[in-house]
Amino acid sequence: MKGLRTSIIQEKKRTEFVIMEDYKFLFKVVLVGNAGVGKTCLVRRFTQGLFPPGQGATIGVDFMIKTVEVENEIVKLQIWDTAGQERFRSITQSYYRSAHALILVYDISCQPTFDCLPDWLREIEEYASNKVLRILVGNKIDREDREIPTHVGEDFAQRHGMYFLETSAKEAENVERLFMEIAAELMEQARCKELPRYEQNTTSLNGKTTSIGDAGICGCSRLS
Amino acid sequence: MNMVEDTPPKEENLMTVIDKLQEDDIAVNKHLDHILSKHCHVEAKLQSISKILPNIAIVRLEAEKFQNVIGHTNNLAEKVSAKVRQLDLARSRVCECQSRVNDILDLQLCSDGVATALRNEDYEQGAAHVHRFLLMDQQLLERTADNVSGDHTSVTSSLANLQQAANELRAVITHKFDEAVKSEDLASIERFFKVFPLLGMHNDGITKFCHYLCSKLQETAQKNLKAALDVRSTDKRSAVIFADTITMLFEGIARIIEVHQPIVETYYGPGKLLSCIGILQKECDKQIKKVISEFTKHRKIAKRVQLINEYLRKQGGTERVDPKDLDLVLSEITIMHIRAELYIKFLRRRIINDLEISTTDTQQRKDLLNDFEMIIKNSELACSMQELLGAYLAVEKYFMEESVNKAIGMDALDQDQQTSSMVDDAFFIVKKCIRRAISSGSIDGVCAVINMACGFLESDFTNQLRNRLRQGYPAGYLDLAQAYNALQTSIQHGRIQTSDTELARLMFLAYLNNTEVSIEYVETLNKSLSIDIDQAFQNMQTKEKGKIESCLAGMKNVALTLRTVVDYGLEQLRVSTVKPRITPWIDAFLAINHQINDDELLRYETDEPFVQSLVTNLEGFLQGFKNSLTEPNYNALIGILTAEVAARLEKVILKSTFNRNGGLILDKEIRSLASYLASATSWSVRDKFARLMQITTILSVEKIEELADYCEDSIAWRLTPAEVRKILTLRTDFRQEDIKRLKI
Repeated sequence: MKGLRTSIIQEKKRTEFVIMEDYKFLFKVVLVGNAGVGKTCLVRRFTQGLFPPGQGATIGVDFMIKTVEVENEIVKLQIWDTAGQERFRSITQSYYRSAHALILVYDISCQPTFDCLPDWLREIEEYASNKVLRILVGNKIDREDREIPTHVGEDFAQRHGMYFLETSAKEAENVERLFMEIAAELMEQARCKELPRYEQNTTSLNGKTTSIGDAGICGCSRLS
Repeated sequence: MNMVEDTPPKEENLMTVIDKLQEDDIAVNKHLDHILSKHCHVEAKLQSISKILPNIAIVRLEAEKFQNVIGHTNNLAEKVSAKVRQLDLARSRVCECQSRVNDILDLQLCSDGVATALRNEDYEQGAAHVHRFLLMDQQLLERTADNVSGDHTSVTSSLANLQQAANELRAVITHKFDEAVKSEDLASIERFFKVFPLLGMHNDGITKFCHYLCSKLQETAQKNLKAALDVRSTDKRSAVIFADTITMLFEGIARIIEVHQPIVETYYGPGKLLSCIGILQKECDKQIKKVISEFTKHRKIAKRVQLINEYLRKQGGTERVDPKDLDLVLSEITIMHIRAELYIKFLRRRIINDLEISTTDTQQRKDLLNDFEMIIKNSELACSMQELLGAYLAVEKYFMEESVNKAIGMDALDQDQQTSSMVDDAFFIVKKCIRRAISSGSIDGVCAVINMACGFLESDFTNQLRNRLRQGYPAGYLDLAQAYNALQTSIQHGRIQTSDTELARLMFLAYLNNTEVSIEYVETLNKSLSIDIDQAFQNMQTKEKGKIESCLAGMKNVALTLRTVVDYGLEQLRVSTVKPRITPWIDAFLAINHQINDDELLRYETDEPFVQSLVTNLEGFLQGFKNSLTEPNYNALIGILTAEVAARLEKVILKSTFNRNGGLILDKEIRSLASYLASATSWSVRDKFARLMQITTILSVEKIEELADYCEDSIAWRLTPAEVRKILTLRTDFRQEDIKRLKI
């Protein structure tokens, strides 16, 4: 009798596994920032372990998938690498809204790419969800000719409520860490969101003008 | 033996020791006999061995001789093979020598031939001689010239002659070709084009020829563009004239490749297409730029995008573009895109075929194909198309949003419809926009429009629905059925005006339905789009498939958001109507006496006075909604109603007191209420009544002890032990002590 029950439980577990398509969390990560700051290289380094020099400018958007493991959970990251050039902007903007995390990249050896950050923030403000996880990344720390000191980037990030990290796609420094921390943070958020979501719907309504608000929309597509 | 030593020779065991010794003696004798019997056999063996011994010496001698012979043969063989090797070398030298002699002879011949050919302007002949000369190993020839002192001068001079002739020919052919291009002498152009590879000028030939083709291309493209600009607005192609112009450009290039590829392949060998396309693409880029810039100017793309952006930013105020006017431009951009995609596909197919013939090395093939992809990726064509896509997206977004807003503005509710017109219209428009994007053949475009559609549906569109529901369902004295009747009569009497309250109610229900139907539409849209996309983009790469899937997943979020709005609307309905209406009906229970004697029991059992009137009331209430709600919404309403009824009933029961008869009647009444509600919907209501059923079971027991049996039956109790005790106290015929004693 007991044996039968455990076998049923195992059976159930297996079917759940099939439905989950081998991952438990799925997050969209979008990279933005001026042309030539190394967005594509960061993505290549993380997804393929490559640093292909002499990349042409990205046209439109590029798309990569990488599955990682965080705290024994399988997390699938869909990474959207966007074109930095102004003229492709309206294609890339359409991806902001559904992003779970936005990585804003600048080049630590190029002041203009840092000066443009407020413009990028305005754009994020306009198109992205206000719950999106925002990360500021100063790339190319392998370069000798640094123009933006680390603390300047840090200050900027802090002022605008962003996470901050400096990376080098060329030397593979902090790249893995960047994406893994994003995955961990998003997973944490997704877990927190699951419980309170139910409570918000049951708030008592008095009178016909009570509003439920937008709180019910879950920012993540957790599959279970 | 040991035995003998171990056991001390005492008197009592002496006999056993003797027996043992005798046994041993017999065994030893037997063994000795056995050994002696073998003696004969061993002797015979030894004799035969001594006989064989001399033979072995002979065998050894013979073997040594044999070894000598083999060694000797080996030596011989090696000597022979060394000679053969020498011979081989000699032969190959002779061959080489012969070929060199031939070369020298040919050199002389070629040298003379080139001179004559040049004199006669027979360039093909001359080039053939030079080609022969180029096939020779020049350094070897020079060394030969040094070695052969006698003929020294002739060989060197021939070499010099030929080298000079080759250079001369190269110059002449280049000049002649240029001249032919200038005079547009197609026959000569082709004639000299074929000569270039003979002179080892493959790249020059291809470059020159392709540049010539480019000039032709430019000519036609400019003519076409000019003709396009002259087309009158009344012409039926005028709306897509720029798409037509671009199509002609692509077709022109495709024709050039179609016609000239065989010639190139015959005279230059396979594998030259990539460099041809590289050159042609540059011209294509130039022409595309011109067409697109004219298109942008004439169709006022920049101005329109700017107006749209301003309008969207300020939410009205400035000049508004009618979305209808944008329809044609959007179609034209879509055609341009699909043509560009087809053109690139054509080139890719040609390149792949060419590479398959020219190289067997898969890595090299892959590299070259990659080179091609880089040419396309970095081409002005790709950039222009992406830029155009940007404009297209801005316009398409505006078109979609404004058209849907217009549809919402013109929203109409037909009396016999459950939904208003806006929901069908909105999804028709959204579908049209995404379909148009699919027909552009650009994956990025499709993805972006899907993203835009999801964003719009999830925010603006959902807000419209939510705002309407937020206005609430007006409660009043009128029943919905009465509202309908009032509406009907007012229409019949020619007074279209209905009261604001009635209209507000009908609109509320219509929007609740709109939202619920939208969920269905979103799911259908999602499915039909993935089918459409699979059909439109066959052989999609995994990456592209991933892009599409990731964007389409946004539809699921839209459905989730809409679901919260439906829940919100239903909650409004619960608070404003369901709850206030049912409360007095159920509170009537409090006015009834539940201490029933046996006579009354009989009457109550047939009449069920409380529940019958409740059911009639509920029936009337639901009837008002049945036709004006979609099935899922109606079922959800019944679910809410059931939950409310159950909750309220529980409250009033706890405020009443019962005897056993009263409990029995209650039990019966609750059962018939549950079965009425169950019959009204396909959903299960049993769960919502579970607590009530258990309460009535407790109230209808004969003795408290019966409950102990129930507990043992391990029913899933929905009541806590405290609640069970509290309910038992409602029975006036139970004693407090008995209740306390009950073990639960």
